[in-house]
Amino acid sequence: MSPLGSINPLSASPLTQIDTQLPKIGAGLPTTQGPAPTESFGQMLDGLVSNVEAKDVNAQDLTRQVLLGKNDQLHQSVIAMQEASVAFSMMIQVRNKLVESYQELMRMQV
Amino acid sequence: MNLIAGIDVTAGALDAQKTRLDIVAQNIANAQTTRTPQGGPYQRQVVSFESELLKRIGNGPPLETVRVASITPDRSPGQQVYNPQHPDAGPDGMVTMPNVNLAFEMVDLITASRAYEANLSVVKNARQMAMTALEIGK
Repeated sequence: MSPLGSINPLSASPLTQIDTQLPKIGAGLPTTQGPAPTESFGQMLDGLVSNVEAKDVNAQDLTRQVLLGKNDQLHQSVIAMQEASVAFSMMIQVRNKLVESYQELMRMQV
Repeated sequence: MNLIAGIDVTAGALDAQKTRLDIVAQNIANAQTTRTPQGGPYQRQVVSFESELLKRIGNGPPLETVRVASITPDRSPGQQVYNPQHPDAGPDGMVTMPNVNLAFEMVDLITASRAYEANLSVVKNARQMAMTALEIGK
């Protein structure tokens, strides 16, 4: 008999109308069971190392050419060396992070 | 993998400024040359630059570097000097000297050297930026 009891808050039609218009969270996101990565982390690391090595070889080659007098572009040699140095530092940083995470895992209480 | 940003642009500029320095050296060295394979006195060489579009890997903006467009001789007439003993003197005893003005060449030399320095400091700063970015992970 109470007029208030006839109102069901959950089935209130304005609310359901709003709810249908709202975008669903996570609807457009890929699920965790997405496609497998094309290359493993190890392969990626391998690529990084060979990239760094290529830069180093390039720097060595340019420096040798300058020292042998085949080329007088001194700045190119130094720039190549700097590039190799920065790439090497990046590789070291990646390795440090990797070792750090491994040690963190080993320290985990079982 | 290009870790140091914009380094190719600067490398091109360094190349160009180095060529300019070489040409200034050639002009100063030949300031007294009255005989050349082409005949006549040495003519001062002038370097001009042009921009060159770099192909860009990734989604950055297209960058333009610089390269030497041409090395052209300065056609202005050289100074006439009265020196009848000179082997290249004309019948009237006048010798045409190269049109090299040492004061101009020194100004060019300093400009080229300062431009080279400016580009080198770009390299230094770009490297410093990359190294600072690597500090994040420490």
